[in-house]
Amino acid sequence: MNGGALLQGALSGLAAGGVYAVFAVTLTLMSRLVRVVNFAQAATGMFAAFVAVWFASKLGMPVWLATIAGILVGALLAAIIGWIAATWLSDADLSTRSAMTVGPFLLLMSLSYILFGNKPQPFAPIFNGPAFTVTGVVVSWVTVITVSLAILVAVAAALVLRKTTIGTKLRALSDRPTTAELIGISSKPLAIGVWAVTGAISAVTILIIAPTQSNDAVTLSMLIIPAAAAALLGGFKRLDLAVVGGLLLGLINGMVAQINELALVRNFVPLIFIVILLLWSQRKEVWDAAR
Amino acid sequence: MKSRILGAAALTAAAALVLSGCAGSDGGGEGAPIKLGSVNTISGPATFPEASEAAAAVFDKVNADGGINGRQIEYKVTDDKADPATATASARELVGSDEVVALVGGASLLDCEINAKYYEQENVRSIQGIGVDPGCFNSPNIAPANIGPFNDTTLTMLYGSEELGLENLCVLTSVIGSTGPAYQAGVDRWSDITGKEPLYVDDTVPYGGADYTPYVVKAREAGCDGIVTNNVEPDAIGMLKAANQQGWDDVTFLMLTSVYSESFAQAVSNSAAGVYVPAEFYPFTEDSDVNADWKALMEENGITLTSFSQGGYLAATFMVEVLESIEGDITRESVNEALANMDPLDNPMIAYPYQFDKIAAQDYEPGGWPVTLKSGTNAWEKAADDWLMIPAS
Repeated sequence: MNGGALLQGALSGLAAGGVYAVFAVTLTLMSRLVRVVNFAQAATGMFAAFVAVWFASKLGMPVWLATIAGILVGALLAAIIGWIAATWLSDADLSTRSAMTVGPFLLLMSLSYILFGNKPQPFAPIFNGPAFTVTGVVVSWVTVITVSLAILVAVAAALVLRKTTIGTKLRALSDRPTTAELIGISSKPLAIGVWAVTGAISAVTILIIAPTQSNDAVTLSMLIIPAAAAALLGGFKRLDLAVVGGLLLGLINGMVAQINELALVRNFVPLIFIVILLLWSQRKEVWDAAR
Repeated sequence: MKSRILGAAALTAAAALVLSGCAGSDGGGEGAPIKLGSVNTISGPATFPEASEAAAAVFDKVNADGGINGRQIEYKVTDDKADPATATASARELVGSDEVVALVGGASLLDCEINAKYYEQENVRSIQGIGVDPGCFNSPNIAPANIGPFNDTTLTMLYGSEELGLENLCVLTSVIGSTGPAYQAGVDRWSDITGKEPLYVDDTVPYGGADYTPYVVKAREAGCDGIVTNNVEPDAIGMLKAANQQGWDDVTFLMLTSVYSESFAQAVSNSAAGVYVPAEFYPFTEDSDVNADWKALMEENGITLTSFSQGGYLAATFMVEVLESIEGDITRESVNEALANMDPLDNPMIAYPYQFDKIAAQDYEPGGWPVTLKSGTNAWEKAADDWLMIPAS
C-alpha cells in the first residue's frame, strides 16, 4: 500500500463525497430553518429524477425540458410534504416532525416501484467522462460538478440568510418563532418555500449523479444515510462543516476501499463516522448527565 | 338488525370455507388436482418473479389442454420476501399443509439454503427454476434448471482467458449470505482447468453500493484487463459507469447471467471493451426456433422475457414430462421415483441433458452460450456459435 494508491483512492471517493455534501447541506438547512431532519430528502430527488426520465423516454420530451420538469416535480413534492408539516405539525418538536418524513420516504420508494418497476432507469448523462488528470489520477466531470454544487449551495444559502430580507425573516423564525410570528412574519409560506427549494436541489443532484452510478430506487434513496452522517459533523447547524463532513466521508470511503486489511469495515464507514462524532460531541459530558 | 345480518353472512362464509377446506384435503384420489408449489423471492432486495410466472403459464397451458391424464395441476406460488423466517414458513405451508407432490419453478435468494434439509427430511424434490444460493447445488433433493452463478463464474472466466485472451483477470465479488466460499470455488475451478491465477480477488465489494469508483480505480491501478464480477443489474451498471467516468475504455467486463436483460442493454451505452456473459440458456435476444415456444407463451401471458422466465419455463416443462411418464397414481413417492429414474431430457434451450439425480449431484458438464453487449449498440448479440462448456477437470 503506497501513498499514490491512497491519493488515487481518496480522489476516487470525492465524487461520492460531493453528493454527500450537497445532501448534508440541504439537511442542515432544513434542520436549522424548519426544524426537521428530512429522511425523504434523497427519495424526493430520486422520485423526481425518475419522473424526468419517464417524461423523456415515454412522452418523448427533449432531455432539457424533462430535466426542468423533473426539478419542478421535486420542488412540488417537497412543498407538499412541507405543507403537511406546516399545517398539522407546526407546534411539534424536531423529533416528531423528523419521524413524519419516514412516511413520504417509504411512500416514494414504493410508488417508484409501482410506477417505474424495480429495474434501473436509463438516464442520459448530462455530464460524463474525465475532466482532468493529476499525476495519473483521473478526476471526472461529475466529481467537479458535485463538489462545486455542494460549495455553491452552502455559500448561496449563507448569503441568502445574511444579506436578504427573506433570509432575515427565516433566521427570525428559526431563532424566535413566536416573536417572529407576533411581529407579522408569516411562517407557513416561508417554511414551504424552504422545503420546495431543498426538494429542487435534491432533484438536481440526483439528475446529475444518477447517470453515472447505480441508479435504482433503493440505492439513490439510501444516500440519505451517509449524508446524515456528514451533516452530523456540523451538528445539523453549520453549513461549512456539513460540506467538509461530506467530502471527508467520501475521501475516507475511497481510501478505505484501497486497503485490503480494512475490508471488513468498508461498508460501515458512515456508521463508524456517526459513532465517533457522537462520542466526540459528548466528550465533556459525564455519564449521568449524558444519559 | 344490521349486525345480525352481517353475523349470519360471516357464519355462512366461514362454513363455506370450512366445507371447501374439507373438500380439498381428501385429495390424492382419481381426478383430484396434482399439487405443485414453489418458494420465491418476489419482494425484497433482489427479486425473481418471472420464474414462477413462467412455470404457472406452462401449467395453465397443460390444464387448458386437459391436464395430466385428466388431472389438473394446482400450482401455488409463495413469496419468502428474502426473509429466512418467511422462507421457512413458506416451505412448511407448501410441503406440510398443502402436501405438494414436488416443488418446481422457484427462484429465491435463500430458499435452498434455508429449506434443503427440510426437503430432504420430508422427502420432497425440487426443480428450481433458477437456483441462486449455494444450497441449490449441494442437495440430493434439489436440481435446478439453470447451472447457477458459481458455474457461471467459472464459465465467464474461461471465456475471458481462453477465448478473449485476457491475461490479468480481477475478481470483484459481492457476497450475499454464505455465497463467498462457493464463488471462490468457482474461481479455483477456473484455475484448476487453465493453470492460471487471477491478478487479485476482492470479495468485499458492497451489494447495493452507490458508487463503485474506488474499486474501479484500484482495478485499473493493479493492471487488470478484465473485471470478473457477480454484480446484479443495478450494481453492474454502477460498476460500468464508474469505469466510464474514469475514461477506462479498454477493460473487458466478464459478468453473469443476472445482467443478461433488455433493460440492462438499454441502460448501458458505453460498455468499455464489452460486457461478456455466458447465458445459462439459449440466448433469448436472438430470433430462433429454439426459444419460439417459450417466447410465444411468455408474450401471451405478458411475462418479461428474461433468463429467469426461461428457467421457470424449463423447470415446469421438465416436470410435466416427468409427470406424464408416471403410470398409476401421482403421489410424492411416485414423483420422486420418476425423477430418480428419469431418462435424460434433451432440450435445445440448455447445453446439457437434464437428469434430476445427475444435476443434483453436480455430476454433469455445465455450459452457457456466450453473449456480448458492445459499446454503443444497446443490444445483446451472440458472441459464439455454440455452447461453451466447462471441461471435466
